[in-house]
Amino acid sequence: MRRADRGMMAGAMRLAFAYRVRFLTGAALLVAEIFLLRKIWTAVYDGQSSVDGLSLDALIVYLTLVNLQMVLMTVFVSNEMQFRIRTGRVFFDFVRPIGYPRQMFEFQLGMSGGQFILILPAIPVALLVGSISAPAGGWAGVGYVVSVTLGYVMSVCISLIIGMAAFWTLELGGVALLYRLVSRFFAGTMIPLTFFPGPLQTVADLLPFRYFGYVPAAIYVGVIEGTELAETLAVQAVWVLALAGLMWLVWRRAQHRLVVQGG
Amino acid sequence: MIRAHRLRKVFRRPRRIEGRFGALRTLVSREYVETVAVQDVSFEIEEGELVGYLGPNGAGKSTTVKMLTGVLTPTSGEVEVRGHVPWRDRTANAHGIGVVFGQRSQLWWDLPLIDSMRLIGALYDVSDSDFKRSLRRMSDLLGLDDFLETPVRQLSLGQRMRGDLAAAMLYSPPILYLDEPTVGLDVLAKAAVRDFIADTNRAGRTTVLLTTHDLDDVTALCRRIILIDSGSVLFDGTIENLISGYGGQRHVIVTLADAGPETLSAGAYSAERADDGRYSFPLGSDHNVPALLEAISREHPVRDLTVAEPELTDVIKHIYARSRD
Repeated sequence: MRRADRGMMAGAMRLAFAYRVRFLTGAALLVAEIFLLRKIWTAVYDGQSSVDGLSLDALIVYLTLVNLQMVLMTVFVSNEMQFRIRTGRVFFDFVRPIGYPRQMFEFQLGMSGGQFILILPAIPVALLVGSISAPAGGWAGVGYVVSVTLGYVMSVCISLIIGMAAFWTLELGGVALLYRLVSRFFAGTMIPLTFFPGPLQTVADLLPFRYFGYVPAAIYVGVIEGTELAETLAVQAVWVLALAGLMWLVWRRAQHRLVVQGG
Repeated sequence: MIRAHRLRKVFRRPRRIEGRFGALRTLVSREYVETVAVQDVSFEIEEGELVGYLGPNGAGKSTTVKMLTGVLTPTSGEVEVRGHVPWRDRTANAHGIGVVFGQRSQLWWDLPLIDSMRLIGALYDVSDSDFKRSLRRMSDLLGLDDFLETPVRQLSLGQRMRGDLAAAMLYSPPILYLDEPTVGLDVLAKAAVRDFIADTNRAGRTTVLLTTHDLDDVTALCRRIILIDSGSVLFDGTIENLISGYGGQRHVIVTLADAGPETLSAGAYSAERADDGRYSFPLGSDHNVPALLEAISREHPVRDLTVAEPELTDVIKHIYARSRD
């Protein structure tokens, strides 16, 4: 990795610290959310030990993990891209000695790094509130890390594609909000995907968002294991390649769409 | 160093359709509106030159600069900057140029100025020792020390502009593009910016292309100007040639001791009486002021006389007005 790349990430990380109030509030909300989900689902189970083969304890561990993961999966790079395109600052992104998609990817990596450091103190609290246990086994632990990493790359690619849409529309407000809601729901942040009714479950299976939440958590708790684990990770890797390819195609068209705003 | 040959840029965007589902129909329509931003621009700039690139609003100046920096792809024509075609070799071109826009900043809005400097140092691979030396020089020239640790959003326009100049020159690019760098600045800040530009051009042999509406910038800095309007070059040469070529004239302004006639004639010259009672005689540079004075004072007592040199402003005003007809 060149100095330029490290510099970009370091800058974005400092920016995350400049926005620390936002992230610290996010950390507090995370703990509150996990606590509330625990209360709600305990009430729903109403003394039953297991529903649809899923025990209450396993469910709470799952929800805790998914909501922790979503902090990482919720990326901001499309907002930044839109801001820079609208205000014409994108001009300077185009005269840098490293390519635009790479800069934006690194920007997000730096932001995520800063964000991670900021929410670090909340993680033990969240784990405690969610009474989390160790992964189901050695392979579950390794598979979990791989799956979360691939999921993160998928999330950044999608955010870059949405951000590049601003080269055409200049405006993303509604799309970004809609994306956030839909992706969170289909990641299974409130209800595990196995509880979805048939047709909705089919939709969830076709969408990439399950890899942000449900899939890594299911690997962690041992619901996905053995050959299924290997298959799942392979499919996820294909998703990463497909999204990266799509991002590249959009970029090739987007760069000729650029009309720098203002004189 | 910089070569533009028959450069042309046409912007094409879908024709807006009014009425029901207008936005949707606009999206799928195949009708386009074309705007010619740059019609036909050719020039060459040698190493070490400081060229003023002038023109009224919407003349195509910024579009030209965007093509020279490689951000926009020309519709036709050729650009070559230090042997690179900017839009094709965007990253190779990037190392050799610095850009300052008066209207927008490359600094990170929510970070202290020093963080933007560090980021730019890393992006352009400036070594630590070069970075320190360069930042020291910029701080001395532009007085950055007072606000290096201040978030950019809190800087005044003058401070931000100085920060942007330092950012553009931090990695010592051989070419500097300046697009209205003094817009909105007060007299002192303007002077600081001009001094910096002059110094950079002189000491560093940096080639500068300066776009501005402030003609004082031009007279203070530029030896050569390129004047464009409606996307075409109207003039390319020195300021002196521009003024004399476009009939810029000296005026001899005479005040009489008594109430003079409606029209004051003296030899071959004549002038109408203005509202303030003065007469203004246009005079070529080869004409004789004492002879005129003598001719007038033969008939009328002269109380005061001033000679007004031709101003770049008047010439430029004249040219813009003419090219609009």
